[in-house]
Amino acid sequence: MDALSKSFPGREPQIAQLLAYFRAAPYPPAVYIRGGPSSGKCAIVSGLLGALRIRHALVDLVECYSSKVLFELVLNQLSGHRVDPAVGAPFAACDHLMDFVGQLGRIEDVDGSVVVLRHAEELRKLEANVLAGFLGLRQLTRVRVSVVLLSEVAFEKYYHKLNLSEPLKVHFPQYSMEQLLHILQLDFPHAEQLSAVQVDREFHRSYLSVFLPVFYRACRDLSELRHMSRKHFAQYCQPVLDQQLRAQDSLALWKRIAPIFNAATSVLYLRVSSKHPGQGLELPFYSKYLLIAAYLASYNSSTDDKRLFMKFHGKKRKTRHDIERKNKPSAHLNTQIGPKAFTLDRLLAIFYSILEDKVGFNNHLLIQVSSLVQLQLLSLASDECSLDERKYKCNVNFETIQTIARMVGFNVRKFLTDFSHM
Amino acid sequence: MGDETASVSKGIFVFKPKKKPQHTILDELFSENRWYQTYISLWTRLNQDFEDLTESMFTSMTSDLLNFVKTSHQNDVTEIPTAALLTGINMPDHDAQFASLKRQVKEDVSPYVAFLSSQDCGNVKSLMEIMISQFIGLSDDREEYEDDLVKNTLKKSSLNMSLLESWYQQTENELLVVIIPDFESFNAKVLQSFILIISSHLGKLPFVFIFGIATCISTLHTSFPYHVTMKINVHVFKCEPSIVYLNQVLEGIFLDIFCPFHLGGKVLDLFTEIFLFYDFSVQNFVQNIKFAMMEHFSHGNAMALCLMEKTAIKNVLADFNHEDCENVRHLLSFRNFVESEPYEQRIKLITDDEYFKQAVYDKVVAIQRYIKRLHVFLRCLHALVYDLPGSPLGKNLRELYTLALTKSITQSAEYRESFQLLEFQSKDALQEKLRRIADILAQFVNKGSSKTKLRDFCVEIDRLVRILQNTDVEESEKDEISLEEGLGAMVDRKALKQALFSRSKQKSKTQDKYEKLKQEILAYLSGQFEEYLVHPSTLPFYEIFFFDDISIKNHIIGIHRAAIHNALNDPHRYLQCKCCAISNKRTVKALMPDICIAYKLHLEWGKMINLYDWLMGFLCIVDPQEEDDLSDKSKKVVDPHVQARFTQAVAELEYLGFIKSSKRKTDHVIRLTWEG
Repeated sequence: MDALSKSFPGREPQIAQLLAYFRAAPYPPAVYIRGGPSSGKCAIVSGLLGALRIRHALVDLVECYSSKVLFELVLNQLSGHRVDPAVGAPFAACDHLMDFVGQLGRIEDVDGSVVVLRHAEELRKLEANVLAGFLGLRQLTRVRVSVVLLSEVAFEKYYHKLNLSEPLKVHFPQYSMEQLLHILQLDFPHAEQLSAVQVDREFHRSYLSVFLPVFYRACRDLSELRHMSRKHFAQYCQPVLDQQLRAQDSLALWKRIAPIFNAATSVLYLRVSSKHPGQGLELPFYSKYLLIAAYLASYNSSTDDKRLFMKFHGKKRKTRHDIERKNKPSAHLNTQIGPKAFTLDRLLAIFYSILEDKVGFNNHLLIQVSSLVQLQLLSLASDECSLDERKYKCNVNFETIQTIARMVGFNVRKFLTDFSHM
Repeated sequence: MGDETASVSKGIFVFKPKKKPQHTILDELFSENRWYQTYISLWTRLNQDFEDLTESMFTSMTSDLLNFVKTSHQNDVTEIPTAALLTGINMPDHDAQFASLKRQVKEDVSPYVAFLSSQDCGNVKSLMEIMISQFIGLSDDREEYEDDLVKNTLKKSSLNMSLLESWYQQTENELLVVIIPDFESFNAKVLQSFILIISSHLGKLPFVFIFGIATCISTLHTSFPYHVTMKINVHVFKCEPSIVYLNQVLEGIFLDIFCPFHLGGKVLDLFTEIFLFYDFSVQNFVQNIKFAMMEHFSHGNAMALCLMEKTAIKNVLADFNHEDCENVRHLLSFRNFVESEPYEQRIKLITDDEYFKQAVYDKVVAIQRYIKRLHVFLRCLHALVYDLPGSPLGKNLRELYTLALTKSITQSAEYRESFQLLEFQSKDALQEKLRRIADILAQFVNKGSSKTKLRDFCVEIDRLVRILQNTDVEESEKDEISLEEGLGAMVDRKALKQALFSRSKQKSKTQDKYEKLKQEILAYLSGQFEEYLVHPSTLPFYEIFFFDDISIKNHIIGIHRAAIHNALNDPHRYLQCKCCAISNKRTVKALMPDICIAYKLHLEWGKMINLYDWLMGFLCIVDPQEEDDLSDKSKKVVDPHVQARFTQAVAELEYLGFIKSSKRKTDHVIRLTWEG
């Protein structure tokens, strides 16, 4: 048990609490553990149950796209059933909760085993009786099984019309910076492998004390922090390796690494390595114009179309409009509010008015519209089944549309009511 | 009824078609015809070339990708290794590319490849089932897959991760590769949970993903939240831009010296326009060329002569009968040819088949020679002008080709402008260009062959390159001398001035020499180009090799609205009946179909159409006698038959989407289409 506490610094009270529940039978019927991502919930629970030699099933609900999969996984694990790939049969086929309850009692020595469900918030997406069934599993089966739910949301978010029996609750709070520092120091053996020079614990600690304050502002997720610290450690060591700086010279090392850290905070959570930076969007010529037309249709109101796209429009209308626009606060600008739906007719009308060379209306153009939808540059705003009066929205932001417009030599600002009045 | 279907109960039996070597309708219809044989052998060859080229173009990218996949699980991984393949938006081209990728992964990396397409994977359940069934060796084919399920006594619902895990323990621990060719079309939610599921099993099952992304890499970031993106480790791989692909296909296959079929300037222009303006798809481009080829060859047996070998021409001509000769005589350029001949030969050409065949042979061989030179000289001209400022003749060979086949290129303004620009070229640049030309010629000219004009040209170019080099040497020598002189006279200002002056004079002398040589070279080149880059229409029987019928545009680009408008406005065009023929587009005839009358009438209204007025107009045309009664202003009774016909016509127009009923004015309909 000490080993468990040692490998999870900062979690001593939670471990003690869980130990109190599971040290000796009878175990509590249901325990609900809440804590943010990578706060050690699952690792501690499975470590604890393993150390206490309690038979348990650990199922991740992300995997359970239907309740059938969930039931069969739990039964397979508890009974130690191995799926034969040629037959593929589970321990028992369970289509609904009653089957599961019935089958659970059939397993030998099932008394005193524990079912651990990760991502328990996903239970709400399954049938309504599944969550209630698991919380009251002991009453239903008359077998002493316990259920441990691991989740990132508070239990209050589960309340619905069914009366749920309240489980015991354990909260895993967010790690503080000191705790994180302590935990990341445990990563030293890995860091030792990474670096080409001989490093000691003190050097690694000073690296982390530089690293953590920068990233702690943007990210509290332990696994992400660990990933980042591993990723940058080699770069940190580089000046020492090149014998430009001494390992003790932590201030100079910090000066070297600080800009790299700052750049890295903007790509947190993204793991992309590319040999070809700055890859733009390649579109055929008319597709570009269609996309621009779609953007204009999405971010202008249709009442302004006449004024924007026709050569001879009434002057009177324009002045009245002008005054209205000037009073509009910037939060109400069309470009700030988000795309509005438009019909295909309007898209084509704008397309033909902004396109300088006249092209006949043909099927290739229509196909372009649907391939823009397929590329997720436009999205279908109307019912997918109805064929007439289709409505679309433009999914592209202003920067992208500006670069596209620049490629074809078109001034978008001129045709946006937000800009043409200011 | 065979034994297979002998059954006590009545039922429906599914028979799967047995796969036979495919014979298309075209094969059955035309395999006798000589032109079809020529066409099919040429097309098979070109298509094979196209596939080979495509394969080789993607090899470098694919080998990088395969390396990545192979090495992805050598170290312990915490995220799923993911290859993001930026393919560009040329959708129809992807299928073949991913199919070959799948094959290569199977051969080189791991036999376990799952190929998931968005149509089949609407939700997580079906995605998992399809993926697992592909891994454990059930067939890709949907129907066979159902069969296999029965054979293996596996239920579809039992295909889940625990099955996959226990199956994997029995295998040889190879990688599990998942290919998703159309990332954008996938439901992002489904993919998210898929990634989360796989990442929770990553410790036991070494998965690798390959995503095909058509737009750009940021799509990957915008479609997933943080806790999903941190589960995948993305490496980006990029295909060549589709325009490079197109140029390579054109230059390597269709604008090649060995391809007898030539697209004319207008048609090639149309095809490139479709490519650049509409779809970016090379696959479509090649299909368009195929269509043009079919159109070209179906002219008749004359096209069987569209070959690049002399002996083959001889064989084909030997087999020609009188009808085939007549087919050749129908070519337009034959007329000019006949008229240019003296009288006696004219008669012979038209009546004597054997004499005619000999004449055709001579002329066709001349065209073959012309085509070879055309390609060689176009490439030379391309080497000369492709990097000129402003590129008046275009940067690509295909642009030059288009121009050369549209008009006489050496007479064009662009050509003159290019040569003016060439006169400003520095010596090094010109020398480099000449060397390029020499290289191109070396490729095409057979050194061992007897003296040809091409060979003379080659020799002349080599000579010019050498002369240019020599002036180079002379000049640099003089440079050194003048530099020394300058240094020697540094003491005295006057002397220095003089030295500089003389130096500049000397330089201008060499400069002059170079200028003179340059003029000579350019004049020589221009003379050669003028001789060989003539428009093909000057040659008799050029139609056999060049196809420039722009009327295929209507087949290549479909215009459905215009087609419907034409059908309704002028039914004679499609019906070809005598009763509907009209001279003026605005004329309405009572004998036309009802819907056409209603349509033609509705064109005269504005946005709203009053149904009663419309009916009256309809009546006037269908039943003109009634009009006289109308003049006495009395309300007349409408014949119910006519009204029913009118109602039906209106309903049909509504069905076609020309009008819709209005809620604001109950007796009006709204017009939805506008001309122009």
